[in-house]
Amino acid sequence: MRRTPLQSLALYGAVIVICGILVFPIYWLFITALSQPDALRAMPPKFWPEHPNWGIFAEVLNDKPLLLWLKNSVLAALGAVGLSMVVSIPAGYALSRFRLRGGESLGLVILTSKMLPATLLVIPLFVIFRQLGLLGSLWSVILAHATLIVPFSTWMLKGYFDTIPQELEQAAMVDGCSPIGAMIRVVLPVSAPGLAATALYGFVLSWADYAYARTFLTSAQQNWTLNLGITTMRGEYISNWAIISAACVLATIPVLFIYLFLERYLVGGMTAGSEK
Amino acid sequence: MAQTNSERTTETFSGRPQGKSTWFASLDLARPSRRHWLGYMLLAPAVLLMIAFVAYPLFVSLDISFQNVGIVRFDQPRKPFTTANYEKLFTSPDFWNAVWVTVKLVVVVTTSCFVLGLGTALLVNNHFKGRPLARLLVALPWAIPEIIAVVIFAWLFDSSFGLINWLMIKLGLIGSPINWFSTPGAAFSAVSVVMIWKGYPFVSIMALAGLQSIPEDYYNAAKVDGANVWQRFIYITIPSLMPILGVSMILSMLWVFRDFSIIYTLTGGGPLGSTETLSIMTYEEAFGFFRMGYASAVGIITLVICVVVSRLMLHRAPENL
Repeated sequence: MRRTPLQSLALYGAVIVICGILVFPIYWLFITALSQPDALRAMPPKFWPEHPNWGIFAEVLNDKPLLLWLKNSVLAALGAVGLSMVVSIPAGYALSRFRLRGGESLGLVILTSKMLPATLLVIPLFVIFRQLGLLGSLWSVILAHATLIVPFSTWMLKGYFDTIPQELEQAAMVDGCSPIGAMIRVVLPVSAPGLAATALYGFVLSWADYAYARTFLTSAQQNWTLNLGITTMRGEYISNWAIISAACVLATIPVLFIYLFLERYLVGGMTAGSEK
Repeated sequence: MAQTNSERTTETFSGRPQGKSTWFASLDLARPSRRHWLGYMLLAPAVLLMIAFVAYPLFVSLDISFQNVGIVRFDQPRKPFTTANYEKLFTSPDFWNAVWVTVKLVVVVTTSCFVLGLGTALLVNNHFKGRPLARLLVALPWAIPEIIAVVIFAWLFDSSFGLINWLMIKLGLIGSPINWFSTPGAAFSAVSVVMIWKGYPFVSIMALAGLQSIPEDYYNAAKVDGANVWQRFIYITIPSLMPILGVSMILSMLWVFRDFSIIYTLTGGGPLGSTETLSIMTYEEAFGFFRMGYASAVGIITLVICVVVSRLMLHRAPENL
């Protein structure tokens, strides 16, 4: 359909205004981090820093163990994603290739897991992890995050495996491969993009967590994750928004990069469990 | 042999491992009559993980909710069974306040996410240059961790130098700066704004996926029959989107119901309980006042509400899900 110039103008105008409003908070985070302290108190506000203060990143890295928190967040996310992939690759494969009793209820399991309030689950987990001596250790967070990720990743992986023709494995098995061998040597390499997208989706889920880290790790400062560290900074630097924003920028950059890759796979993760 | 098998059961495994005999082969799980075992074996680790760290804890919290207990310890004997927590709950004004706040927040946030998300999706679904970029930007808040979103908005809502007060004064909406986090109504609005910003990308991504699955032919046929833009929207777009909108509605409601990070770090439930949802109340009771029995009762009730509400919605629109 052809549009009149006026319609085109209205369309572009609306798109730019909406995108502008929605993305502005993220823009403002970056600008705040780079602004000089007096610029942040200027009225009217300065929307572009004239003398960007790149030193703020060095300052925040000096002041706070951000790199340690970053390392902990990465370890927690890698551990949770690793564990989730190890259990959900076979599970997704089994649900895709075998007609199992109860297999259809996976959607229901995911929907149910979306109904469970984290604040309810965190109470017994706290008790259990203390009994196991895991409280304050990254393992507590890794296990808790894995339970968040596994339902999603199983569902997403089942979807990817469904798109891979079974003839591939059958051919491999005729050539003498065991069923497990066929899965590992034939199916997994072909589904590499799907595996990557699923793993990154899990990474984002783990990276976003605050409730579990807050509950299990608060007393163990050396194991704090970025999100936990940043919330404590807010209490400390009560009005130094530049330095808090700088920490936030550092915490946001990894997920922004992942998002660029993941954007086209997003729907898969979000709709997980919605079809019965 | 393999040949006949694969003809008989076309959708199943048929190749029997030949040659190298691994221990799997010696168990002969590839035999058609046994192949289900292999399936269950592959499924087992995931199921066990979920049982150990979701189902079992859930059972424990149900058990705790029927005990008058502060800090639970497994090495101490179980406290006697009592329904005192639930009795206390239903007579507690704090609980009813939390229910009311939760319902208000769910309605405000879900509705706004829908209007905003659907509007954005309809807009971005048009063909124009730079559409992939617009799509990318529109869903961007999804990737921002909730804690970071809270920091951004806490600064935007800052009472002295925040942009929002400055803008509202400039536009003449308010006379003097609002102290967003010490006024009950204002704090509730602030929480809603953060949740809407964080939650609408979900609706817009879902709606966009739905829009793109509507065949162009429907619209062309309607145009031939003389339907105008509005009629095409009402009679084609909305009905085709209903299934996906129903799902997103339930999922975003559940998200607001369960959210902890945003409210806890933005307002902590205050001031005067004006942003204290059931989730926040559960957490505060458990880890602020160390009344885990009572907290579990609140959490169990939250779960029951979530299940009942989504059941009702699923039941009302069975063909949509």
